[in-house]
Amino acid sequence: MGKRAIKWLYQELPVLVSKGVLAQEAADRLREYYGEIKDAGKKMTAVIICGVLGALLIGLGIILLLAHNWEEFSRFTRAILSFLPLLIGQGLAFWVLCKRPQSHAFKEASATFLSLMVGASIALISQTYNIHGTAGTFILTWMLLIVPLVYLMQASLPAVIYFIGITAWAGNYWNDPLMAVLFWPLAAVVMPHFIWALRKEIYTIRTTIMALVMAICVSIGAGFSLGKTWSGSWIIIYSSIYAVLFGLGNRAFKGLTSNWQRPLRIIGVLGILFLAFLFTVRFVWQYIGADYYRLSREVSGSTAFLDHLITFAIIALAMFFLYDNARRKKLTLALFGALPLLAIITYSLRGQEIIFPLFIFNAYLLILSLVRIKEGIRNNSLAAINSGMLILGILLIVRFFDSDINFILKGLAFIAVGVGFLVTNVVLVRRGGGR
Amino acid sequence: MRKQLIIGLFVGVALAQIVTPLSMITRRESVLQTGEQFKFKVAPVDPYDAFRGRYVALRVMENKVVVASGTKLDFGQRVFAHIAVDEQGFAKLSGVSTVRPQGLSYLEATVVNPGRGGGTQAMLKLPFDRYYMEEKKAPLAERIYQRHARRGKEDAYLTVRVKDGFAVIEQLYVGGKRIEDAVRDAKE
Repeated sequence: MGKRAIKWLYQELPVLVSKGVLAQEAADRLREYYGEIKDAGKKMTAVIICGVLGALLIGLGIILLLAHNWEEFSRFTRAILSFLPLLIGQGLAFWVLCKRPQSHAFKEASATFLSLMVGASIALISQTYNIHGTAGTFILTWMLLIVPLVYLMQASLPAVIYFIGITAWAGNYWNDPLMAVLFWPLAAVVMPHFIWALRKEIYTIRTTIMALVMAICVSIGAGFSLGKTWSGSWIIIYSSIYAVLFGLGNRAFKGLTSNWQRPLRIIGVLGILFLAFLFTVRFVWQYIGADYYRLSREVSGSTAFLDHLITFAIIALAMFFLYDNARRKKLTLALFGALPLLAIITYSLRGQEIIFPLFIFNAYLLILSLVRIKEGIRNNSLAAINSGMLILGILLIVRFFDSDINFILKGLAFIAVGVGFLVTNVVLVRRGGGR
Repeated sequence: MRKQLIIGLFVGVALAQIVTPLSMITRRESVLQTGEQFKFKVAPVDPYDAFRGRYVALRVMENKVVVASGTKLDFGQRVFAHIAVDEQGFAKLSGVSTVRPQGLSYLEATVVNPGRGGGTQAMLKLPFDRYYMEEKKAPLAERIYQRHARRGKEDAYLTVRVKDGFAVIEQLYVGGKRIEDAVRDAKE
């Protein structure tokens, strides 16, 4: 039974006893059976959140103070100033490692603070000496200096800062794919920590935040770094990325119920659906070969090796999840994971009639929604039915907008979809199910 | 044992975190103390850098150089720009090479536009593009420069110290005054 339910039960027990519904002994036995409610975990989380938020705010505040650029100060004073916050941050972290190595809150907060102070220090020096150039070198130096803290202090927020940092760094090289592709090896540096955190504490807020940030950063980083030799390949790459996130989310977080705790899955599903809808739009296929940007360096052949290797690995992983789910007869999961396969087929036939991919993806979304609805009816799950109806509804509405049907028919179609939603829900609630 | 290892590694990381900024400082201080001084004409504009604060963005006027025949440059290539001084005492680029020149003053620079081979002009990006100022003063500094520029006096210049191809900005001048002084006078 959940903690919340036990809490509720304990609140009710005295009432039940006083009204004679339950004997005192029975109530005592219930208490004995369920035991004390452990609130310590919750308190600990609150302490960690407060500590980390405090460290984050103070750290950012110091960065802003230094950014003011106090020109009255001599270069010597400024040099001292740029080391002071850094040394304080290091001192705090050192003290925590020596005296409080067991405290997650202390470790997380001090590592976060130190991570920011390293950036503050380099930033102030860049400012003092008017160091030129793009933010690229600055960010990379900063990130490489803080990433060991992730492991030494088992801290996840520095990993989050690092991930955002290397994504920004890759963005700096958006027109230089040979540099941007290094995003992937850089990202791999924090993977062991991520896997460790998933294994150890699947329920905590910090793994949720980390997974969320990573999923978003990978989506952005891929855009800067992959598929540069192969115009239009984003169709396959992004389909595969979201299929992989979806597949990982279903694995790593198996046994969890709340969607909020499954960020990989959530982002995976949203990405898959968004892309599937995008692929039903004509202009995507019309302009598939067009590149709107100019790269500063051409990539081809051996220089594109890393790009090709990573792209291939992502596609292979997506195919593995698809195969695995199909083998285990998980129809819905396999169906969601089938997007990259469809993307590959339609991409390879892109020279043909545009109607072909449009038809495929409309059919795909239609089947997906029907399967969701059917599954929902079988399991008596309102959430599944509504998500299926939502997909179906959006599909109908989108199609109605881009076709030449008059307003009366469009209006009627909207009403029909709306009524469908209401009726299904009412019927299900009446049935007494509707979990 | 494990705790000691972690603390030992942490001390190593902390040292790297100190040595990196320290080496940034010492390298530049050494150039400022012993480097050769040049004056570059510049045109300032005013943007903003979220982390490092406000700065006056600088466009160096003297950024074109004639490529010697036989030298071929590529876009984005690192090159060495040779510096000479004109009659008015300002720095100008007298040549460009792909290897470190001997017995000449030079700067490391990046090729922005390689030109069309020997004899034509190439455009370089010199390693100074910003001058940091207090947040309220940077826009004012830009306005002061614009006022000067309108009167036909494009007299902003930058003093730069150069040593072994490495350049460090010393001071920005507008109308013969340090920019900080010009801003202070304008406020009064």
